[in-house]
Amino acid sequence: MSMSAYYQTRAAHHGVVTSDWLAQSQEAATRAVVTGGQEIVDGGKSGRAFSVIDEFNNWRKQPDLAEAVAAIRALAAVIRNSEAKTMMELEIELKKASDSLKSWDTTSISLTAGCDLFMRYVTRTSALEYEDFNSARSRLIERAEKFGEISYKARKIIAMLSQDFIFDGCTILVHGFSRVVMEVLKMAAQNKKLFRVLCTEGRPDRSGLRLANELAKLDVPVKLLIDSAVAYTMDEVDMVFVGADGVVESGGIINMMGTYQIALVAHSMNKPVYVAAESYKFARLYPLDQKDMGPALRPIDFGVPIPSKVEVETSARDYTPPQYLTLLFTDLGVLTPSVVSDELIQLYL
Amino acid sequence: MTQIEPQNQLTLDLSRKHKIEGSQATARQTAELLRSVISQQRVPYTNQAGALIDAVKAIGEQLIAANPVELAVGNIVRRVLHIIREEDLSLTTAAIGGLNLSAVSDDENDDDRDGDSTLSAAAVAAAARSTLRPPSLQTLLEDTPVSAAVPQTSSSGGDSEGKSKSADKSSRSRKLKHDVIEAVNELIQDIVTCHEQIAEQAVEHIHQNEVILTLGSSRTVLEFLFAAKEKKRSFRVFVAEGAPRYQGHLLAKELVARGLQTTLITDSAVFAMISRVNMVIVGAHAVMANGGVIAPVGMNLVALAAQKHAVPFVVLAGSHKLCPLYPHNPEVLLNELRSPSELLDFGEFSDCMDFGSGSGSPLLHVVNPAFDYVPPKLVSLFITDAGGHNPSYMYRLIADYYSADDLVVQRRATAGN
Repeated sequence: MSMSAYYQTRAAHHGVVTSDWLAQSQEAATRAVVTGGQEIVDGGKSGRAFSVIDEFNNWRKQPDLAEAVAAIRALAAVIRNSEAKTMMELEIELKKASDSLKSWDTTSISLTAGCDLFMRYVTRTSALEYEDFNSARSRLIERAEKFGEISYKARKIIAMLSQDFIFDGCTILVHGFSRVVMEVLKMAAQNKKLFRVLCTEGRPDRSGLRLANELAKLDVPVKLLIDSAVAYTMDEVDMVFVGADGVVESGGIINMMGTYQIALVAHSMNKPVYVAAESYKFARLYPLDQKDMGPALRPIDFGVPIPSKVEVETSARDYTPPQYLTLLFTDLGVLTPSVVSDELIQLYL
Repeated sequence: MTQIEPQNQLTLDLSRKHKIEGSQATARQTAELLRSVISQQRVPYTNQAGALIDAVKAIGEQLIAANPVELAVGNIVRRVLHIIREEDLSLTTAAIGGLNLSAVSDDENDDDRDGDSTLSAAAVAAAARSTLRPPSLQTLLEDTPVSAAVPQTSSSGGDSEGKSKSADKSSRSRKLKHDVIEAVNELIQDIVTCHEQIAEQAVEHIHQNEVILTLGSSRTVLEFLFAAKEKKRSFRVFVAEGAPRYQGHLLAKELVARGLQTTLITDSAVFAMISRVNMVIVGAHAVMANGGVIAPVGMNLVALAAQKHAVPFVVLAGSHKLCPLYPHNPEVLLNELRSPSELLDFGEFSDCMDFGSGSGSPLLHVVNPAFDYVPPKLVSLFITDAGGHNPSYMYRLIADYYSADDLVVQRRATAGN
């Protein structure tokens, strides 16, 4: 079965490594090298050994780098290696590179969103009054490189905005390992707030274990739960904090499997659900139900062999509709879910 | 020195809390005070907007600190700051347009100077355009300059064109203050006439033979109901008395004086009577950025009852009540605890509430909160002087009236920039 590259990377960064997972990843890595090689051959440009997919993969390997940043850096490398002499030519090259990146991993929303955002920025920049092609080009490269800083700053801004919502003595439920949520909790701990965190295990990645580790290092009281214990402990929870893989046009989010479940339980018990997401994760998608998105599959290791006639649900992510979310903390400010579509309209239309 | 006195007076009045009642009066006095501050402020030739903004922030900080629960003060301070930034921006772009024309006419032979001025002008205009917009996806990848850079670029643009612009600049500085004061006058006018503008919309919402429920007394609601009565709608009003201040009694009296059929009920009877009601119309103390409402105590009860029986819950609020902050703990932080004497008679209960006897802590505590927080999902419609809106739409009005830079009103620590 095919495995979603995006969730494979996330598991690599944040999951607990088990031996058979290692075996799977070795096999997947050799597969990727082969496809990468094919890209070089099919590349098109005469004699160029440059592949945007390779570049992207290189950047993506770094654990602290967001997907969108890796994508934009890869596109910046395309500009640098390009031999185009006019903005139109450059734009066409970029469009091709962006399309190939997007089709290489259709399941990663921040990759798609990052590519779209950068293409939009290129179009707008070329429309401005830069008479000299070279100066426009160097400006594009410079902004793309700076995007990494922007992303890092975005996490800081989000952490600052959320501080007011974490009060002394509160209990926060967290699901999955989100670097943004980690930043929020880290800043709260540094500001000497007294709070405790309930952390779900997050099967099959078990990224919750990694999060619990990190929080314990910060001396934050942490309690681990299995995913099924969420409803059981929900009444002692004051708020739910999750990150997002993508924020869709309706204001809902796409996140690790289990988020929708937690949001439903929280909503039925009147607990606020807060989402921490950078603004470049806003995507032009509008899923109407759970199956509306392209499948992102992740094999699950049950520890015992499963008979072949038994099917396994291997989807790695779910969609949480906006009515179950209370507020989104983004670098554009604190937003209600209805603001997301407004922002997207301003950008794309 | 004259500007200190009215400010001190207003700060004192705000902190005493019973001197100025009601957000409309507070908003109006704040706006008038800020107008006098602006007109008396001396502005330097460069960075005039920055100087005005600093002056307003300095006073605003003190006013807000005097009574943090009265959100209208902070709202008006932020509105004035937004006005200053907007007026400065429109003056800058107008000046740039003027610069362009004069450059073309004066230096016909000097082509590259022309090119330079047009390029820098366009760049400045683009920068100016991007600073006033709050951060958005569009500006994500750009260099967003600090807002104070706007007046600076305008002045540097002026300098590069030579001395013919200095006369322009002094007239521009006068113009900025003049424009800002005009805009603040409009703001005061809006505050004063907000009741009429809201009441104009009454006919669309109140229909023949309806039963309206309200709680406590709000001048906006009063004017709203009167306006519908003027237009010959016949309807009945249920007034919940609004313990412990019982202002519903006053409202009932006024309604009867105007010839409206009124029924007075206790707050506890709201749930019993709600099934006979067509619509609930109430006023608000403040409206938060997420669409939540800070209203007199008892309002949450009415909102829950209305939701349970599918009765529309309509909130009337002037635009000076619109607050750009998100409430993260409104029951505690945006509430005021009033005197127990409103509930209990001290004479009868003095021994229960004796702090001097025994352990020093009496067994009877009295909690008398002044406000309630109504979450946005319980509100059906907001009627403001800008029209009727959904709670999820309030963020748009906030983006129109306020700048993102002003959410925290604090004077900048350093003197420079």
